Amino acid sequence: MKEKLLEITNLKTYFFTDTGQVPAVNGVDFYIHEGETLGVVGESGCGKSVTSLSVMRLLTDTPGKVVDGSIRFKGKDLLSLSEKEMRKIRGNEIAMIFQEPMTSLNPVYTIGEQIGEAVKLHLKYNKKEAKNHVINMLKLVGIPRAEEIINEYPHQLSGGMRQRIMIAMAMACNPTLLIADEPTTALDVTIQAQILELMKKLKKEKATSIMLITHDLGVVAEMCDRVIVMYAGKVVEEAEVTEIFDNPKHPYTKGLLNSIPKLGQKMDRLDSIPGNVPTPANMPKGCKFAPRCSQVMDICKENEPDLIQVEDGHKCRCFLYQNEMARVVN
Amino acid sequence: MFRFIVKRLFGIIPTLLIVSILVFLFVHMIPGDPARLVAGPDASYEDVELVRQDLGLDKPLVTQYFTYMSGLFQGDLGTSMKTKRPVFDEIADRFMPTFWLTIWSMVWAIIFGLLIGVISATKRNKWQDYTGMFTAVSGISLPSFWLGLMLIQLFSVQLGWFPTGGNDSWTSYILPSITLGAGVAAVIARFTRSSLMDILREDYIRTGRAKGLKENIVVWKHALKNAMIPVVTMTGLQFGFLLGGSIVVETVFSWPGLGRLLIDSVSYRDYPVIQAELLLFAFEFILINLIVDVLYGIMNPQIRY
Ligand SMILES: Nc1ncnc2c1ncn2[C@@H]1O[C@H](COP(=O)(O)OP(=O)(O)OP(=O)(O)O)[C@@H](O)[C@H]1O
Ligand SMILES: [Mg+2]
Repeated sequence: MKEKLLEITNLKTYFFTDTGQVPAVNGVDFYIHEGETLGVVGESGCGKSVTSLSVMRLLTDTPGKVVDGSIRFKGKDLLSLSEKEMRKIRGNEIAMIFQEPMTSLNPVYTIGEQIGEAVKLHLKYNKKEAKNHVINMLKLVGIPRAEEIINEYPHQLSGGMRQRIMIAMAMACNPTLLIADEPTTALDVTIQAQILELMKKLKKEKATSIMLITHDLGVVAEMCDRVIVMYAGKVVEEAEVTEIFDNPKHPYTKGLLNSIPKLGQKMDRLDSIPGNVPTPANMPKGCKFAPRCSQVMDICKENEPDLIQVEDGHKCRCFLYQNEMARVVN
Repeated sequence: MFRFIVKRLFGIIPTLLIVSILVFLFVHMIPGDPARLVAGPDASYEDVELVRQDLGLDKPLVTQYFTYMSGLFQGDLGTSMKTKRPVFDEIADRFMPTFWLTIWSMVWAIIFGLLIGVISATKRNKWQDYTGMFTAVSGISLPSFWLGLMLIQLFSVQLGWFPTGGNDSWTSYILPSITLGAGVAAVIARFTRSSLMDILREDYIRTGRAKGLKENIVVWKHALKNAMIPVVTMTGLQFGFLLGGSIVVETVFSWPGLGRLLIDSVSYRDYPVIQAELLLFAFEFILINLIVDVLYGIMNPQIRY
């Protein structure tokens, strides 16, 4: 039996803005096994980034707050750790790669300084050891002229190079969990493929667990072991990657799959599902997907379904299957 | 970088030439007759004309300008009409008191301005922020003559800690430099706060936190270096203004500096002194601008000269 590395239950993260309360993450449950790559997919604004920032407890300087739920990592409840204990986990045991490679590096410090900083902090390396380690990390992520690049500044590098730097920085302290928030969305297609290859290679070599956030089901097919599909701050479906593609249950997942472009192609809009993601102001009363659903029933507009197991290792949040289950039970 | 500095230093010469023409015209446009002032109110018309010839003020303006400039290139700034001493000595005597007052004011201003700015930005909308910004707004809006007089009243007259004026010992620097620095500190605080608040929203700040860095390191190392880039420019300008000598503060504290020299020489129509002072201010400003540009390049690696 595989161990659960990260287990999130009923996570709720709300933003308290001037215009009201935004339930960006509204009762999310999922887990990641050791050595596993979990894909997190869903349209823009469904709460993928906010979920990962909640895990890292990086909602400082935003009006966001975790209001409920638990996040267990290696048996520890991250939400109850002190800030000091949390700092020992950030960048060390859980590392993160962000959506925006162009702006995620500090423009006034060299690459070597920025990666070395984490290494000195967590691995307690001295200056020379840190420098060697940084050079090795840069070589590992396929950066040419690593010895020179450490003295260069971010603006001297391309987007693809910067994302490699971010990966090197994230992997530098050998984290057990890597959270990659759309690591390739901002990059062009050929670079995307290279970055994905790189992550696969690193995962193999270091046995890191990965939480891979993406819009792109092509990337999921390529990289992941298991997938969760999110909609409006909730998980609506969870299954092994082959199961999701061969036997999708939730109408939303089916819609996503119908809109799947060729592997590696960018997918910013999902045209095949009519309508838009609900805004917090006009959140539907029942199932959040009901207004856009082609198989909507009366009950969907009144009540919200639970995330229940529909097959072995396959969960879905939809009345279509709950009724089926109910019928079986009756 | 070295080539940039040399190039800029040579660039100063034409700028100063243009400034010198403007200054010369401007000074001679000040209403009032210096010859009359030198000769005295009771002098006859003939006496005044003699004095005018003596001072060279009867010649055409262009001739006067060239005479002045040829003197300037030989290091001769002329003679003060009022004291009959060389202008160079007049200014040299007054420069140091103003210079050190400026340095002290800037030291206060930078220390307190930065501290208040950083605290306000990191504790925004909390009481620390409100207190900091209230202090800063007061610093900007209090007239410096009022602040100076209040400080004298409290610390010199009532408590007797510091002298009421003059610059005889180091203690006499304290009150005027606080008075002068208060406004600058306030400007630095507000600038730092808004600049730092913008920077703290940047993605790379989140990267720093995601590395597990302490919040202090995130703020003082990663954010502040970026936030300082605009603040440095503004601080340089303020430094330039103070170097000109503050007429108000120097008057309130009977400070023998350039500000009071300027007001004295203007009321006496002491053309050579006014001209020399204005040229000095222009030169200081240009020099400070150059220093600021160099600092800017050092702080911001995206700029290469
Ligand atoms: N700083 C913030 N202030 C207020 N609301 C926010 C903030 N950050 C996120 N939100 C809200 O949280 C919701 C979820 O945002 P999140 O960034 O998690 O989406 P996402 O799934 O990562 O989308 P994308 O695919 O575009 O990255 C958004 O709809 C937004 O309304
Ligand atoms: Mg996102």
